[in-house]
Amino acid sequence: MKRILALGLIIVIVGIAAVAQDVTLTIYADDTRAPLLTTLGEAYTAVTGVAIEIVEFPWNDIRPNFITATQAGEGPDIIIWAHDAVGELVANGLIAPMELGGRAADFSSSALSAFTVGDTVYGMPYGTENLSLVYNKEIVPQAPRTWDEVLAIMRAQYDPDVPSYGLAFQNTAGNFFQFFPMISAAGGYIFGFNEDGSYNPCDVGLANEGAVFGATLYQDMIEEGILPTGVDWDTLNALVAGKNVAMVITGPWLLSAIQDAGWDYGIARIPAIKGPDGTYNQPLAFIGVQGFMVSAFSDNKTVAMDFLLNYVATTEVMADMANAGNRIPTFIPAIDLAPADLAYFADQAAFGLPMPSIPEMDQVWQEGGNAIDLINNGTDAATALQQAYDLIIAAIGCE
Amino acid sequence: MSKQLPAKRTKQLRAVGYWTGRFGRRFVRHFLLWIALAFALFPVLWIFSASINPTSSLNTQQFIPDRITWDHYRSLFTDPTYPFVTWLLNTLKVAGITAVGTVILCALSGYSFSRFHFRGRRVGLLAMLLVQMFPQMLAMVALFLLLRSIGDIVPALGLNTHLGLVMVYLGGAMGFNTWLVKGYFDTVPRSLEESAMVDGATPFQAFWRIMLPLVRPILAVILMIQFMTSYAEYILASILLRGTDQYTLAVGMRFFTEQAFNRRWGPFAAGAIVGGVTFLFLFLPFQRLIVSGLTQGAVKE
Amino acid sequence: MQSQSPFAILIKVVLLGAIDAVAVWAGIELVLSANYSMLAVLVVGTGLLNALVLSKKAYPFRYMAPALVFLFGMVVYPILYTGYVSLTNLQTGNLLPKHMVIETFENRFVLAEDAEQFTYSAFVDEGDGMALVLESETTGERLLYENGDTGPLDMDDPRLTLDDEGTVTGLLGYEPANKYAISSRLDALSIPFGDYVLRHSLFKFSKNTKQYSFDESSDTLTDLTTGAVYSPIEGTFTSEDGTELEPGFQAWIGFRNFGVLFSNAALRKDFGRVFAWTIVWSLFSVFLSFSLGLGLALLLNDRKLRARVIYRTLLIVPYVMPVFISALVWRGMFNTQFGIINRLFNDLFGVTFRWLDTPMLARGVLIFINVWLSFPYMMLISLGALQSIPGQLYEAARVDGAGMFRRFSKVTLPLLMISLAPLLIGSFAFAFNNFTLIYLVTAGRPAVLGAASPAGATDILISWTYRIAFQGGSGNQLGLASAVSILIFVMIGTMSAIGFRFTKRLEEVYK
Repeated sequence: MKRILALGLIIVIVGIAAVAQDVTLTIYADDTRAPLLTTLGEAYTAVTGVAIEIVEFPWNDIRPNFITATQAGEGPDIIIWAHDAVGELVANGLIAPMELGGRAADFSSSALSAFTVGDTVYGMPYGTENLSLVYNKEIVPQAPRTWDEVLAIMRAQYDPDVPSYGLAFQNTAGNFFQFFPMISAAGGYIFGFNEDGSYNPCDVGLANEGAVFGATLYQDMIEEGILPTGVDWDTLNALVAGKNVAMVITGPWLLSAIQDAGWDYGIARIPAIKGPDGTYNQPLAFIGVQGFMVSAFSDNKTVAMDFLLNYVATTEVMADMANAGNRIPTFIPAIDLAPADLAYFADQAAFGLPMPSIPEMDQVWQEGGNAIDLINNGTDAATALQQAYDLIIAAIGCE
Repeated sequence: MSKQLPAKRTKQLRAVGYWTGRFGRRFVRHFLLWIALAFALFPVLWIFSASINPTSSLNTQQFIPDRITWDHYRSLFTDPTYPFVTWLLNTLKVAGITAVGTVILCALSGYSFSRFHFRGRRVGLLAMLLVQMFPQMLAMVALFLLLRSIGDIVPALGLNTHLGLVMVYLGGAMGFNTWLVKGYFDTVPRSLEESAMVDGATPFQAFWRIMLPLVRPILAVILMIQFMTSYAEYILASILLRGTDQYTLAVGMRFFTEQAFNRRWGPFAAGAIVGGVTFLFLFLPFQRLIVSGLTQGAVKE
Repeated sequence: MQSQSPFAILIKVVLLGAIDAVAVWAGIELVLSANYSMLAVLVVGTGLLNALVLSKKAYPFRYMAPALVFLFGMVVYPILYTGYVSLTNLQTGNLLPKHMVIETFENRFVLAEDAEQFTYSAFVDEGDGMALVLESETTGERLLYENGDTGPLDMDDPRLTLDDEGTVTGLLGYEPANKYAISSRLDALSIPFGDYVLRHSLFKFSKNTKQYSFDESSDTLTDLTTGAVYSPIEGTFTSEDGTELEPGFQAWIGFRNFGVLFSNAALRKDFGRVFAWTIVWSLFSVFLSFSLGLGLALLLNDRKLRARVIYRTLLIVPYVMPVFISALVWRGMFNTQFGIINRLFNDLFGVTFRWLDTPMLARGVLIFINVWLSFPYMMLISLGALQSIPGQLYEAARVDGAGMFRRFSKVTLPLLMISLAPLLIGSFAFAFNNFTLIYLVTAGRPAVLGAASPAGATDILISWTYRIAFQGGSGNQLGLASAVSILIFVMIGTMSAIGFRFTKRLEEVYK
């Protein structure tokens, strides 16, 4: 309170005419987004007199720094981050509802729902991303439709000395995100739903028959050697750069590396996996939505919303923001301006679900990631998934 | 006069002597040292090769790149998004002030522990040592809040200031270094100060003019080791500094590797070489002092 | 002690006076900003400082004072704070202090059903004052808000300047205000309006009802829309029927965190495993790097060896290279697919290993890297210690007929240990707490079957604590992590104390 009064006093003393230099909007962003916002901020300052301060952090540091700073009363007004943090941030009371009003119609509803907790929208989305199959047309002229075709390609391409692989995706411990499609195909799921559509965190479908089936398929590929293990981000980049792999399951973030490597690439849905009952099921992919969130403890909520809704939420800016990160815009008028490739990601996105953003999801990332590790090291898939399931349930505190 | 050995025996002995004699021993020594050098320098050569290799991935390159490019080095100095030179200067500043501060403070307190007999001396020194074993980084939130409060009163010492970071580093450097200095002082005979004080010097003058120069070796050790520790510290710097221009090298270079995509190994490698080489040059002159300083005063004759 | 010159005394008095004056000023600032804990620190600190300077008995402490200031401020205080947090439930969902959470609830408003909105013109005067002329978009009703008082706008008010359409363009005594400049003040306003309040957002005022009200005397939060009353129970506002409000706040829970550590069997197992590995890791790191360092020191300890200084300089490079660089380089070299180590192995032996993904191999790799990082330090201190062993001892031993090994084990080694043991203990403690290396190379992974917490195969105590605190599964559990930190601290403190006791150097400490 006193801070606000003191601020007001200073503002009044400095002067009233248009130069409102003491009002500053602080935004946490990473280095990809910062340049865009800086230019935009300068335009905003020229018109309104409000200064925009962009504080750059490495991507992974934005969330913990936001939490620490806000706890101490030093937080920014706006942050840019992925929607899966929403659950935790709302649970801690750190972000404010986004007042979109009529503008909500300008955003794709699935993106908005990713930022929704209960009935309230807590963020303004600008881009989505999801996994798909990216294949090198020189080696694989046509996208495989079923997993049997994939296995055939993998076996044909496999040569450990080169090394050469048919398929690769990130499968080190922190990559449950990439593991999910295999689990989901035959019926695995993360959280079940309550009647009102919210997640039921005690209904975890990670160890059911479908999940085990998918994980066993994964394990078989590893044991046969045709799927490389220990593939982290750097390794995947290296495989792509050296054209050591024919297909990757990845998101738009890898596209620039793929283009740099000179791939003649195609993008398609992740091939269908034949379930134990013989039917082919489309694997589901997580959708990540990135957006702007306003701090609940910001003193400048009005100005922040004004900046976001009137300056950022314009067609060109939204298109640029999404493009800077190779993401599909969530701002409907900007979708037409997106590069053509990204449209193919939407094919898979139709079979996708936003990452659950409830705080309990953290446990899933962790234990699910550990399960991959265990399977990589030889533990039986069913056992590994069962352990993940047990630990998640125990940590959430169900029954 | 010994009798002559048969020619074959002489030859055999000469062969054995070749290997066990002085020359042989020296050869073995050099050989072992070269193996050690290979072990020590291999990764450094590797990262140097990465820094001149056009492919920007730590994994795919061969040891000797096909083409050499100095672009990565160039980008360090020209890329406005990643002000490498600023980071380097920031690091030198923070590490330098921390090291000098540590030397001064620990010289003072080490002297006190060594010379004055006061109650709680034994326990105090042991406590200082043990307290330092608490890993500072786990109390991140505490330090964050502390610096924020301090910053409210004295903005130059608060969050996101280099001096604030220096204060935090100083705190964590007091225990062990005081003990080292104390041990060194213990080996300096009291007679020196006593005669100085007889001549009319105050205790502090005796300390400053006579004792301090005598313990230079250990001070050099502390200076360099503390400099190096602060140079490489990452966790606390990443929390207490915000804003690209304020970052130290450790935090700034994480930009090269922590991004969601576009990991920039090339510039990272170039930065590693520049940063490492800078420090090596700073370290070199003090090498000899460090070798003798740590243990010279230790063994009493 | 010599008496001091009058000049010195004058300087002392002036300085102390200046510091005391600054302290008083700072104290007033702190009182104004209600920062009482810092105020207490300031008072105590200044008091101590004065005692130090003025009391003759405190002479020794004058030397130690600066060091102690930093030690207490930056190390002891965090320890105490961690101790405090370990007794709370600080974690996701209970992150903010109570007053911030109450503020959150008190700032929750619900739009009135008719969603009536007001446009406004804002005016400020030269002081703090602010006036607003509000006009309802639905009813056309006009209000004047002036410095806390609200009432209908009197169109005959002589201070008003109206334009042709009847819009208020000026108010006597006030200047028109820039809406951006005062937006934060406006955001903070709650203008009473009948049963409702008017709240500012997006440059309009809208009719809202306040959702919650906190009653300090009864320490309860009431939902004004439903009538439900919530009492703070262990960090969450809970109603009688058990509904909990989000967010919760930090609350005191006593020793429960420690209790969980000791009672949860799976957690205990994790703790045991991580602890065992931490000890093994520290011991092997120190032992192996010391052996290598000592061996190299013995090789280099010959003044007649050519290029001795060059060898020594180059061998220091691993120590000098910052950890955050070398750790990442080694991680790249041990990469399963592309790392140079595997490529060499493949070329030479035809096998590859999953170095960082297999538990035992990952542990070995970490020790290997740590040896690489630390052997130069061991080499330097061994060199120093070797050079300080008097030559006569060797002569005497040689005269007595001792061979090379005997000389080493009976003369060199014991003397080395006397001087180096404390440094080795220091290295042990450093390895014990070496978070950076573990974090950068493996981040604690690979995972272990049967883990109840984020404890991987290569997690040492400190990285495990970090993961519980900041990467925890069910949210960041800072309270639990603080309890673990305290435990670690007690353990390593005890171990080091015991270690010091067993070294002869201790005699000097205890003199």
